[in-house]
Amino acid sequence: MYGDRLAATGTRMKARPRPPLTRRGLLRGGLGLGVGAGAAALAGCSVPGTSSVNAEPTIPAADSGETVTLTCWAWLKELQAVADLWNAENPRVQVEISWIPGGNDGGYQKLYSALAAGSGPDLAQVEMRSVPEFMLVDGVVDLSRYGIDEYADRFDPTLWGQVSFAGGVYGVPQDSGPTALYHRPDLLDDVGAAPPETWQEWAEIGAEVRDAGRFMGTFPLADTSVFAAHAMQAGAVWLNAEDDGWVIDMAGESTLDVARFFDAAIDDEIVSTQLQPFSPGWFAAAAEGRIATLMSASWGDALLEGVSGAEGKWRVAPLPQWPDGYGSAQLGGSTTAVLANSTHPREAMEFAVWLNSSAAGIDGLIEHSGIGWSANPDHIGAPRQGGSEFFGGQAYNTEVFAPAAEQQNPDWQWWPTTQQTFNVLADAFRAKAGGTSLVDAVVRAEADTMEVFREKGLTIRRAER
Amino acid sequence: MSAAADAVQGDRPDVDAGTDAGTASPGAGAATRRRRGRTILVTGVLVVVALYFLVPVYWVVVAASKTTDDLFGTHGFLFAENFALFDNVAQVITHDSGIFLRWLANSVLYAGVGALIATYLAAAAGYALSTYVFRGRNLVFGLVLGGVLVPGTATALPLFLLFSQLGLVNTYWSVLIPSLVSPFGLFLCRIYADATVDRSLVEAARLDGVGEIRIFHVLGLRIMVPALVTVFLFQLVSIWNNYFLPLVMLTEDQLFPITLGLNTWRSQTDRLPEFYELTTGGVLLSVIPLAIAMIVLQRFWRGGLTEGAVK
Amino acid sequence: MSTTPNSVQHPARDGARRSVRRRRPAATAVAPWLLLTPFLLVFLISFVLPILMAIGQSFTRVERRGLFGEEGVTSTFAWFENYRLALEDGSFLASIGRMLLFGVVQVPVMIALATVLALLLESAAARWPAFFRAAYFMPYGIPGVLATILWSFLYVPGLSPIIDVVHSLTGVEVDFLSSRTVLWSIANIVTWTYTGYNMLIIIAQLKAIPSELYEAARVDGAGPARIALTIQLPLIRPALMLTTVFSIIGTLQLFAEPQLLAQVAPAIDSQYTPNLSAYTTAFAYNDYTVAAAQAVLIAVVAFVLSFSFLRLTNRRS
Repeated sequence: MYGDRLAATGTRMKARPRPPLTRRGLLRGGLGLGVGAGAAALAGCSVPGTSSVNAEPTIPAADSGETVTLTCWAWLKELQAVADLWNAENPRVQVEISWIPGGNDGGYQKLYSALAAGSGPDLAQVEMRSVPEFMLVDGVVDLSRYGIDEYADRFDPTLWGQVSFAGGVYGVPQDSGPTALYHRPDLLDDVGAAPPETWQEWAEIGAEVRDAGRFMGTFPLADTSVFAAHAMQAGAVWLNAEDDGWVIDMAGESTLDVARFFDAAIDDEIVSTQLQPFSPGWFAAAAEGRIATLMSASWGDALLEGVSGAEGKWRVAPLPQWPDGYGSAQLGGSTTAVLANSTHPREAMEFAVWLNSSAAGIDGLIEHSGIGWSANPDHIGAPRQGGSEFFGGQAYNTEVFAPAAEQQNPDWQWWPTTQQTFNVLADAFRAKAGGTSLVDAVVRAEADTMEVFREKGLTIRRAER
Repeated sequence: MSAAADAVQGDRPDVDAGTDAGTASPGAGAATRRRRGRTILVTGVLVVVALYFLVPVYWVVVAASKTTDDLFGTHGFLFAENFALFDNVAQVITHDSGIFLRWLANSVLYAGVGALIATYLAAAAGYALSTYVFRGRNLVFGLVLGGVLVPGTATALPLFLLFSQLGLVNTYWSVLIPSLVSPFGLFLCRIYADATVDRSLVEAARLDGVGEIRIFHVLGLRIMVPALVTVFLFQLVSIWNNYFLPLVMLTEDQLFPITLGLNTWRSQTDRLPEFYELTTGGVLLSVIPLAIAMIVLQRFWRGGLTEGAVK
Repeated sequence: MSTTPNSVQHPARDGARRSVRRRRPAATAVAPWLLLTPFLLVFLISFVLPILMAIGQSFTRVERRGLFGEEGVTSTFAWFENYRLALEDGSFLASIGRMLLFGVVQVPVMIALATVLALLLESAAARWPAFFRAAYFMPYGIPGVLATILWSFLYVPGLSPIIDVVHSLTGVEVDFLSSRTVLWSIANIVTWTYTGYNMLIIIAQLKAIPSELYEAARVDGAGPARIALTIQLPLIRPALMLTTVFSIIGTLQLFAEPQLLAQVAPAIDSQYTPNLSAYTTAFAYNDYTVAAAQAVLIAVVAFVLSFSFLRLTNRRS
């Protein structure tokens, strides 16, 4: 109904008869147009994202004689080179890539703006965690209506679960970031330690590393996705979409345990809160050999190579374990989503499936764009089979990350206010310097997130615990 | 208050206190020494302040001449052995098939065209408010003055929604149209016209049968030139410096002004360190012409700014 | 607002005008509007309508049903609900408070610096005033975005030569980006950019002071300090007020500097300034109606501050 009114305004504006092209006529026309639009806006029609593309009829595939040009916005570098592989084999469906800034650094703002303006590309790179946020503004197409389910078995079931909501599929998994422990064996050796197997052990070694004047690791207060990854590994599920609404369990026991653990690690100065991983300051500290370990994802390997003079010094080990929980967690990870204003959703979906599950697509993405961990468990990518000189010949991908990708928390789901929750949590974490604890922050963020959900009219309740 | 008008008409000779050394009585050696001491002190202070303003620019010259390795590995205020300035500049200009030059051209287009038209519109409106007595005159003036006080960024979000309904988002128009209006320019033009446009000349022109619009173009515009230069420069700089409006309006990098473009490069340094070279080189290339332009233009910056003082 | 010289009409001139108006009534009635219309049209589109829209949206509320609104979305008139949400948002209020603190410190410092520089440059004691004037004014031509990129390199540990120099001189490891210092690091960028511009406005007014006043003062035996205090400062009051009002408005508009600096300064959150807050709410949280309420609140605060400053200074004179 809302959409109807909006559409009606649109036609009315377009149907307005053109006045003869005199100056005064032009002015009056412009004035009329402006006032018309303003009146429509004031009537309340203009809040973007309030109509549903997934309630409209599906768009049929283009005729076989027609050439389709798809546009795709992504922040992967050199993605056009990979798309060109597809373009060469599919003359009828050509894909053009446009580069946008990464996610919340400006890319999403562009996508949201374009969606609000009723335009935008056919496809876009959307992080796994942001898919529900795009669903909230009616920005992504439910691909189950276009037959994506027949390709489901090509993708990692954990990732597939993270793009599936309420019977629909809202993005094609592209890559993920299974986490592991990057570490400097020489620095651990200094205190007579090997890579720890539990987080408890990690903290104990950390105390000795600290006494040697180094940091065991970092705990970024501003980037809460790292904390989320820890909680995910510990078995937490912060939000869960059930039939009767959302269930929140951010301040559940497993999350609070993680919060307590890092409260202690920060208080004991085992970790640095200032050195955000891969920031210039962190690179400087790492180059000076002041960082012993780094919990990060598979894609961290390429960044680590930017540490000057670090060749051969780093290795990768499986993550230390929590008492209960999973072998690994996920940090980052993207999808290729079909956006609401696409006029060729079926062709767009086919390209996205090829890009992210075919051997040619995955190898191209790894070679040109340096994606994270492949979303297709049967093909981790040809370049990732062997050893790496930077990591002293260790074949860390097959040895560590491939098993890690299979030891994920399968129940974790993202939610429609991920970014806002992360920001709220980060704001609360920043207060750690002023004496509050991470535990307090988590409790506050849970309450705030519930409030945000209710403001948006979404149903939410606290998990029983 | 007519001090404003005085200042406007005051194309009087500069009262530069620095030139009136003749007031010193001859033979007063102590006074001369004291004056010399004061000169050294004052100039010393000015030099220190100048360092503050110039050091960042010096730094960018140094940084733009370094490779990314040297940027992190050598002292920031010293040139590295490997002088890579020309490589970096060539890289800036050729990267992504010359997108940098496109951004520069866009900025020139937005700022140049925008400021030119804005000045003309403000001149016409200011002249009209000054020359004619008509109903609604004070209402219009008051309304527009209110516009000076509304933060530009506060209107950008609703403007985006309005333009998205008009289908103007992500076009040159979306940045150009809002740049065409300068409430502050209208304010200056009106006050300047009040003080300088001679009514009897206007009357004489009318008696000669010259049309009202033509009187404005032939007479009004010419008399108002000093204020127009100020309005033009003011608007030029404010469009050139604008970041929020293009950020909200534009998605396609082909339409970006230089500010937005360089920031997209900067935001990639996180993941792709080679963008450090592009960013510092790009900043240098865009800062140098601006700095020169400011130094050359600053003497035009006088007429008409202070007479706009809100009273 | 201001009374302008021609609002006092000379009888003779009025007579002449009346006689003209008798002859060409249509022309003088239509002409002002012809001249005004282009300006007003653009003004309407870029100021009036957006402001009305923002006000309209700020009273609208979007309600969703289902997990993501997939079961329907409606919008209703919400009274002051969005304003309540905006004002209850601690981060938004904190951002306004932060800007007030910023304004109270940075604006006077900058205006004072600009005034001192202007007086020094216009004093007999300054050598090469043209060079210094140009050097001080130059940063004004550098957009805030570029200035911030520039300064951010000088703030970031590992890159900044300033940190190195300070460290080797004093042994202190300064951190320009910590939660305690970063606001003043932003203030430094703003001061660096706009001091020269404000200085130039003040110089323009200084140059307009009639030379007889200086001569009279010198005859009375006044030194440079007394001339500055008794003649120059009172007479440049309009310029000081203009620059102060502009600086207050500019403070509330702070956006580019914190937004860009946030990428290297974790202490800057996504709602650090009011404008950043509205931007984040609209484009990262997709909450356009609350963002509209925030935009309206920002405009109201700007109005109130500017007008109360003008009222205050007018009363004092």
